[in-house]
Amino acid sequence: MPEPIDLEYDVVADDYQTAGEASNNLKETLKILGVNSSICRRAAIIAYEAEMNLVIHAGGGRIVANIDENKVEIKTIDQGPGIPDIGLAIQEGYTTAGDHAREMGFGAGMGLPNIKRNADVFEIDTKVGVGTTLRTVINLKESPI
Amino acid sequence: MAHSIRISYSACHGCVNCIKSCPTEAIRVINGSIAIIKDLCVDCGECLRACARKALGLDDDDWELIHAHGSVEALPDPTFFAQFGSFWFPEDAQPTLAKSGVNLLIDEAEQAFDLSAYATSRIIEEMSPDQRPLISAYCPSVIGLIQLQFPELLSRVIPIKNPLEIAAELWRRGTKSFAPMTLFAPCPAKITLVRDPVTKEPSSIQHIVSIRKVVHFLMAAGVKVSSYEKSAKSKWRFPTWATRGGETRHISKLAGRELTVIAVSGLRNTKDLLQQLELGRLRGVDFVECRTCDLGCFGGVAVPESRFLAHLRNRHIETDWEVSPQRRSELDALYETPKIWHTREPIPSKQRLPLSNDLSEAMSRLKQMNAIFAEMPHIDCGACGRPSCKAMAEDIVREQGDITDCIFKLREGISSLAAQILSLADTQPHTIQKRR
Repeated sequence: MPEPIDLEYDVVADDYQTAGEASNNLKETLKILGVNSSICRRAAIIAYEAEMNLVIHAGGGRIVANIDENKVEIKTIDQGPGIPDIGLAIQEGYTTAGDHAREMGFGAGMGLPNIKRNADVFEIDTKVGVGTTLRTVINLKESPI
Repeated sequence: MAHSIRISYSACHGCVNCIKSCPTEAIRVINGSIAIIKDLCVDCGECLRACARKALGLDDDDWELIHAHGSVEALPDPTFFAQFGSFWFPEDAQPTLAKSGVNLLIDEAEQAFDLSAYATSRIIEEMSPDQRPLISAYCPSVIGLIQLQFPELLSRVIPIKNPLEIAAELWRRGTKSFAPMTLFAPCPAKITLVRDPVTKEPSSIQHIVSIRKVVHFLMAAGVKVSSYEKSAKSKWRFPTWATRGGETRHISKLAGRELTVIAVSGLRNTKDLLQQLELGRLRGVDFVECRTCDLGCFGGVAVPESRFLAHLRNRHIETDWEVSPQRRSELDALYETPKIWHTREPIPSKQRLPLSNDLSEAMSRLKQMNAIFAEMPHIDCGACGRPSCKAMAEDIVREQGDITDCIFKLREGISSLAAQILSLADTQPHTIQKRR
C-alpha cells in the first residue's frame, strides 16, 4: 500500500482574494489521481467552505488533507473563538458573520451544513476561546453495509 | 474532438506566446513548431490572439469555391449584421445579398433563436430549484471547458441544439431541399460545432466560412448598407445574441416571469462563474450565460469589425420584444416536436487522463511528480515547450519528456559534470612524480 498523499494549506484571516486556492488545488490533485468527478466536487466544496470558515470566523488556520486508497480526509485546525452552540451552527441559514463578509456575498449560514451534507464522516471538536478542529472524511470505496 | 485552428508551419517559430495563452494547456512545442493536443483544445481562439507571427488561422472552407457554384444558402451568425459600418437590418441585407447570389436565411434564423429561447424558458420552469441554475449551451467553447474542467456541471447544460443548427433543420423541413448550407461563423468554436459536434449528431450544415472572409468579399464587391432612422426599431431578435446578455434577455422576454440570470463574457469570468457554480454558490439563480470571448460573440477571432463598435451598434438599435400571438402558437407547436431542438445524446465528459488507472499507482506517480517539480526552477519560462514547470513535471512522469528538456536543469547537469571533470583532472597517477 503506497504512502498517503498529504496536502497542507495555510489560510489567512480576512483574505477573500486568495480564498478558494486550497479547494482548487485539492480538486486538481484528486482529478489527476483519477478520482471520480463527483467525489472531486464534494471534496472541493468541503475544502472551500472550510476555507471560508477560517477566513471569516476563525482568524485563519490550517487545512490538512490526507488522501489514501480508501478515503479523503480533510481536517481544519484553528485557534479561533470556537463555536458556542454547534447545534445552531449546523443549521442552514444560521450565521454570525460580520457585515463585511456578508456584503461580499459570504457568510450566508450555509458553510457547516454544506460540509456536513458532502461528508461521509463529520466530526467537530470545539472549545470557546481555544479553537476548533473539524474532521471530515469522504470514502473512496463503497462502504460495506 | 477535433479543433478548427490551422497552424502555418512555415510561419511558426516555436515561441511560447500561444502556449502561455491557452486556458486548457493544450499546446506544446515539438520539433521547432507548435502542436495542439486536440482532446484539450476548446477552440476559444486565445492562441490566435496571442500569435504575433500570424502562424495560426482558422480552418474554415474556401468561400470563393463555395460562391463559384452560383447560389449559396447562407446562415448568418447574429454577429453578421453589425459588421458593415452601421447596423444592417436583416430585411435590407437579404435583398442586397441576393444580388450577389447569396440567400440569407434570416426568417429561419429568427424562428430558431426564438424557439431556443422559448424552449430554454420552458425547461427552466420544469426544473426544481436544486437543478438550477441551468447553463446556456450556445457557446461551444464554454461546453468544451465544462467537459474538461467542470464535468459535474454537464447535467446543468440546457439540452438544446445550437440555434444555428436548429435554423438549418427548420430550413430543410420547410423547403425539403438538400442544397448545401453555409454558416458564416465568428469563431473556430462554431466551425467545430458543425464539423465535429460534441454529441456526434450529424450537422445539417455543410460549409463554414469565417465572417471575416464574407465581409471582405462583400466590401470588395461594393455592397452599400442602407441607412436608417436613428429611432429605428428592429423586429429582429436574433442579432441581439451577438453580444453578452442577448440570450438571457431573449429568454427572459419569452418566459412568463422575471428570471434571475447572470451573463458573463471572457475566459476569466467564464471560469470564475463556472467554479462558483460548481461550489454551489449560485443558489437562487435560474440561468447563466457564459461566452469565452470578450463582450460575447463580437469578440470572436473571425469577426472583422471592432468588438466595441459592433457592440455599440447593437445597443443603439431598439429591439421589439413583443412576440405576436401567432408566433407564440408556432413556438408552442415546435416545442412539441423535440426532435427539432432537443439534443439526442447527453454531452460526454472529457476529463484529463489520470496518472494511472490504478489509484495506488497514481499516488506513487504523483509523489514522483511532486519531487521532480520541487527541483525545478518554477519560473514557467516555457523554454521546454510546455506551459509551466508543473506541466513539465507531469509530462516526465507520464514518460513524455526528460528532465534535460529544462535548460536550467541541463545547465545544472553540465556544471556538475564540469566539476567532476575538473576533479578528475586534478588527480594524478601515482607513477608520476609530484610537481612542486
